[in-house]
Amino acid sequence: MNVVFAVKQYISKMIEDSGPGMKVLLMDKETTGIVSMVYTQSEILQKEVYLFERIDSQNREIMKHLKAICFLRPTKENVDYIIQELRRPKYTIYFIYFSNVISKSDVKSLAEADEQEVVAEVQEFYGDYIAVNPHLFSLNILGCCQGRNWDPAQLSRTTQGLTALLLSLKKCPMIRYQLSSEAAKRLAECVKQVITKEYELFEFRRTEVPPLLLILDRCDDAITPLLNQAFVENYPQFKKMSGTVSKHVTVVGELSRLVSERNLLEVSEVEQELACQNDHSSALQNIKRLLQNPKVTEFDAARLVMLYALHYERHSSNSLPGLMMDLRNKGVSEKYRKLVSAVVEYGGKRVRGSDLFSPKDAVAITKQFLKGLKGVENVYTQHQPFLHETLDHLIKGRLKENLYPYLGPSTLRDRPQDIIVFVIGGATYEEALTVYNLNRTTPGVRIVLGGTTVHNTKSFLEEVLASGLHSRSKESSQVTSRSASRR
Amino acid sequence: MRTCPGTNSAVRSHLSDFKKHRAARIDHYVVEVNKLIIRLEKLTAFDRTNTESAKIRAIEKSVVPWVNDQDVPFCPDCGNKFSIRNRRHHCRLCGSIMCKKCMELISLPLANKLTSASKESLSTHTSPSQSPNSVHGSRRGSISSMSSVSSVLDEKDDDRIRCCTHCKDTLLKREQQIDEKEHTPDIVKLYEKLRLCMEKVDQKAPEYIRMAASLNAGETTYSLEHASDLRVEVQKVYELIDALSKKILTLGLNQDPPPHPSNLRLQRMIRYSATLFVQEKLLGLMSLPTKEQFEELKKKRKEEMERKRAVERQAALESQRRLEERQSGLASRAANGEVASLRRGPAPLRKAEGWLPLSGGQGQSEDSDPLLQQIHNITSFIRQAKAAGRMDEVRTLQENLRQLQDEYDQQQTEKAIELSRRQAEEEDLQREQLQMLRERELEREREQFRVASLHTRTRSLDFREIGPFQLEPSREPRTHLAYALDLGSSPVPSSTAPKTPSLSSTQPTRVWSGPPAVGQERLPQSSMPQQHEGPSLNPFDEEDLSSPMEEATTGPPAAGVSLDPSARILKEYNPFEEEDEEEEAVAGNPFIQPDSPAPNPFSEEDEHPQQRLSSPLVPGNPFEEPTCINPFEMDSDSGPEAEEPIEEELLLQQIDNIKAYIFDAKQCGRLDEVEVLTENLRELKHTLAKQKGGTD
Repeated sequence: MNVVFAVKQYISKMIEDSGPGMKVLLMDKETTGIVSMVYTQSEILQKEVYLFERIDSQNREIMKHLKAICFLRPTKENVDYIIQELRRPKYTIYFIYFSNVISKSDVKSLAEADEQEVVAEVQEFYGDYIAVNPHLFSLNILGCCQGRNWDPAQLSRTTQGLTALLLSLKKCPMIRYQLSSEAAKRLAECVKQVITKEYELFEFRRTEVPPLLLILDRCDDAITPLLNQAFVENYPQFKKMSGTVSKHVTVVGELSRLVSERNLLEVSEVEQELACQNDHSSALQNIKRLLQNPKVTEFDAARLVMLYALHYERHSSNSLPGLMMDLRNKGVSEKYRKLVSAVVEYGGKRVRGSDLFSPKDAVAITKQFLKGLKGVENVYTQHQPFLHETLDHLIKGRLKENLYPYLGPSTLRDRPQDIIVFVIGGATYEEALTVYNLNRTTPGVRIVLGGTTVHNTKSFLEEVLASGLHSRSKESSQVTSRSASRR
Repeated sequence: MRTCPGTNSAVRSHLSDFKKHRAARIDHYVVEVNKLIIRLEKLTAFDRTNTESAKIRAIEKSVVPWVNDQDVPFCPDCGNKFSIRNRRHHCRLCGSIMCKKCMELISLPLANKLTSASKESLSTHTSPSQSPNSVHGSRRGSISSMSSVSSVLDEKDDDRIRCCTHCKDTLLKREQQIDEKEHTPDIVKLYEKLRLCMEKVDQKAPEYIRMAASLNAGETTYSLEHASDLRVEVQKVYELIDALSKKILTLGLNQDPPPHPSNLRLQRMIRYSATLFVQEKLLGLMSLPTKEQFEELKKKRKEEMERKRAVERQAALESQRRLEERQSGLASRAANGEVASLRRGPAPLRKAEGWLPLSGGQGQSEDSDPLLQQIHNITSFIRQAKAAGRMDEVRTLQENLRQLQDEYDQQQTEKAIELSRRQAEEEDLQREQLQMLRERELEREREQFRVASLHTRTRSLDFREIGPFQLEPSREPRTHLAYALDLGSSPVPSSTAPKTPSLSSTQPTRVWSGPPAVGQERLPQSSMPQQHEGPSLNPFDEEDLSSPMEEATTGPPAAGVSLDPSARILKEYNPFEEEDEEEEAVAGNPFIQPDSPAPNPFSEEDEHPQQRLSSPLVPGNPFEEPTCINPFEMDSDSGPEAEEPIEEELLLQQIDNIKAYIFDAKQCGRLDEVEVLTENLRELKHTLAKQKGGTD
C-alpha cells in the first residue's frame, strides 16, 4: 500500500527490461508527470536513460543508436502517434508500455504498423496516477463535474486512474460510496464494471479481509479546502528558490512576512473558529472586524464569508446579506463575491449527506464537550477534516450503511484493513495528514488517500467555478429538483 | 502474466498478440521486398554491357510479364495520355507502365548492394554484409570500361534498370535498413568505451579499497606496489572516463550544420552522468600509505600482533593449567575410588580390572589433549566402578565426567572460534578479548584491592603518590610487557601472588608501586590512556599518523574531483540537482515542511492564555490529536502535558450528562449508541479516577 513504490517499480522494470545501452524515454503529457513524481533525474540517468521526449513532439531527430522506452496512456491520440512512429522508426528498438488497459484492436493496428519489426515489448503497466507521496495519489483533474454530474471524459479518466491504482496495489476491493452524491455512486459503478470486465486482471490472492474502496464527494466537506493550509499553498513559490542552506531561512522568513502582511494569524484563528465552534455572534463579530481591516486581502475576506455562509447557512439570525455588503464595500471583486454563493451551492446543507458542523450523535457531543473542557492547545489547528471522523468510523466498523452503502450485495463482516479512499472533487493536504496519522496510530490498518486532484483553496474555488454552480438562477432550481427527486 | 517478477503490481503483456498480428503483416511486406530483390538479381546477373539491347529486353521481359500497352492509355502516376511523343515505359521489376517523367532508375551499384546484402543476411545473421563494395567493385570495373559504348546507344540500359516509383521506394527503404545496420555512429563507439570503463571501475575499485584498507592497517596481505599500481590503473580509468565523456560532449560541435539539439542534449546528459559517476566513486577511493609510513604501520602491527599472541598464549596456558589442576584433583579423588557393578555408556568396553586408566586405541590417538585423556580415564574408572557395583562412586565419577566433557566442548568451540579469528585476522575481536582478559584480571585485582584496602589507610592519597611513578615514559613498554607476561604465565593462584604482599604490607606506597600490574590498572584517569592504551591500541596511533599522510596523498584524487571545472559547472547548471531533494521531500512527506516552519508564526501562541488554562487529556486519548501543534512530535509532547488535570467538577457533570444520554438512548432503543456512550462514560470515569489518584 505504497503508491510511490508501486509506480516506481513499474518504471524501474521498464528500464531494466530494455537492457544496456543509451535510452530515450518517450512519454505523453500525463505520463511525464507520473514518472517525474517517482524518479529523480540523476537516478534515472544512472540507468542510462539520457533523453526524455514527448511522443507528440514533432522535431524529434532520428537517433538509431537509442533504444526507446515508451510509457504512454492508452489514448486514441497516443496510439496514432506510435503508429506513425513505427512506420518511420526514429530509434533502433521500441519497448512499449501502456499505463492502462489497451484494446485488442489497438494492439492489432500497432502490430500492423511495425513493418520494420522494431517493437520488442508491448505491455500494460498500471502506473496511471500521480503518486504524490506513499499514501496520497492524485489524477490532476481540475473540474471533474458539471453541476452535480460527471464530465463524461473525466469520469472515464477517473475510472481508469482508480482501477489502475487497484491493479498496481493488487487490490480487488469491495466498494462503498457516499449515498448523497450521485457522482460517487456513478464512479463506484464504473469501477465495478471494469473489475467485472477485466476479472482476469483482478484475480489476486485472496486476503482474509478484502480491501475496501470508499468513494466520497468533496461537496460533503467544503470546509477543509477553504481553510488556510498556510505553508502548502505557497509551497511552489518557495520551491523555486534554490540553495539548500538559505532555503529554510528564506522559507520561514517568507512565511512570517506573508503571515504578518496578510494578517493571517488573526484570519486563521477566525477561520478555525468558524469551522469548529458554534458561536454565531462571536463569529459574526470577528468576521465583521476583520473585513474592516485593510490588511486582510479580498481573497481571505471572501473566504471568511464563505466559511460563515456554509456554517450558518440555516442559522436563524443569518446575516450573510450584511456580510456580502461589507465585502462589496471593502472592494472585493465580483468574482469573489459570486464565489460565496457558488460555494454554498457546491457544499451547502442541502447537498451534504452528513452534518459537518453540529454533531448530532452523542459521541461527537462528548467529543466536543471534552474539547471545550480541555481548551484548545493550538487555536490554529483545531480543525479536523470531516474525513477523519468518516475513516475513524470506518476503521471501527461503525460507518453507517444508510449513508455509505456497499455497491452490490456483499458486505464486509470484519473491520477493514486495507482502505482506499477516493475524493471526487479533490482531496486536501490536511486530509493527507489525517490519513498519515491514522496509518501511524492504527496498527493493522493501511489507508491510501486519493482525489481527482489535491486542492488548496484557490484550486478548490476553481473547481467550484468549473462545476458551473456559480449562479443561483435556474440551474440551482434544477439541482434542487434533481436532488429532490433523488430522495 | 498478471504479475511481473520483481514488482508487486499487476501487469499484462500483449506481446504474443502483437507478434501474431505483426507476423501476418511482415510476411506480406517481406514477400514484396524479396520478390523485387530476386527480380533485381536476375536483371543484373548477366553482363548487361556486353549484351545487345534486344537480348536485354528479352531477358527483362522474361523476369516479369509486362503489362499490355493497350490496357494503359494514361500514366497511372501523373495521368498524362500516352502518345507517340509521350511513350510508355515498363517497370522492369513489376511490369507496370508509366511515362518517362514518372520513371525511376536503379543504378547497378545500388542493385548490387541490395542483392548482395540480402544474400548475406540470408546466409549469416550475425555478420551483416562483410563488404558489398567488393562485389560491385568488380562489376563496376566492367561498367566503366564499356561506358563509352553504352552512352552511344539511347535505348540500351546497360548500367541501370528502369522501374516505377513504387518499386524504387520499397528498395530505397530496404537500402536504408542496410545502411543503418552497417553504420555505427561515433557517439556509440565512444559510449561503449565509456561503459566499459565504468564497468572496470565497478570491478576494480572495490578491490583497491580492500587493498588500501588492509595496507593502511599495516597488514601484509597485499603488496604496497601492487596496490599503488592498481590505484594508478583505476585513476587512469577515471581519467579515461573523463576524457571520453568530454569527447562525447563536444562531438560534432564544429560540424556544419551543427548536430540536432536532441543529439546535443544526449551528449550533455552522458557527460553529466559520467561526471556524477566519477564524483561518486572517487569519494570512496582512500589513499595509500607511503613506503615509510607503510613500514611503520607494518612494524606497529607486528608489535601488536606479537603482544596479542603473547597474551593469547598466556591465556591459553593459564586455562590449561587450571584444567590440569582440576584434573589432577579429580584423578586423585578417582584414584581412591572403589568398584561399581553396573555399566553404562556407549563407549566400547573392555575388561574391568581395577581402577586403572585403560589405554585403548582411542586413548593413544587422542591423548595429545590432556582433557581427552582425562575423559578417557574417567570413563574407564566408571566402567570399573560399575563392574564393582559401587553406585555412589559411579555417580560422582559420572558427575566428574560430565564436567570434563563440558569443559572439553567449551574448549573445542573456543578453539574453533580462535582459529577462525586468526584466519580472518580480525584484530578487533582479539583486541576485545585482550581487553576482556585484562578486565577480568582487573576485576580480580579489584577484589584483591578491596581486601588490601582494608589494610591500607587512605586510598585517594595513594593514587596521588603513585602518579609520578607511573608517568615515567621509559617504563611504559616494559611495564606493559611485564604485565602481559605476568598476567598470562602465572596461573590463577600464582597470579595473585605478587599482590599478596599488599595484604601484609603496612606502607601503602609500596603496595602500589611495587607490582606494576596493580598500579597500572589502578591508575588515575590522566595517566591511564597514554600508558595503557597507547602501545596496545593501534588505531589511535594510526589516526595520528595517517592524517598528515592523507593530506599528502589525497592530492591526486582531490585533483580528480576538481580536475574539470566544467564538470562542476555542468553539475550546477543542472536544475535537477537541487530539485531532486525538494521533490523527494515533497513526495516523501509534504508535512515535514509544512510543520517545520509552523512553530515560527505560531510561536506567540505558546503564551496564549487559553493554553495555560487548558488541561489536555491522558496520552493515547484520540481526542487529543486534533489539538496538537505538531503531529509528529505528539508522542513526546503528550507525555508531560497529559498529567494536567481536568476540573473534577466538570468531569462529574459530564458523567451525569452521559448517564442521561445513555438513559435516553436506551429508551429510544438506540443500542449501538448506548454501547458507545458506555464506553465514553468509562473513559470519563477513568479520567476522574486517575485524577483523584494523581491529586492524592
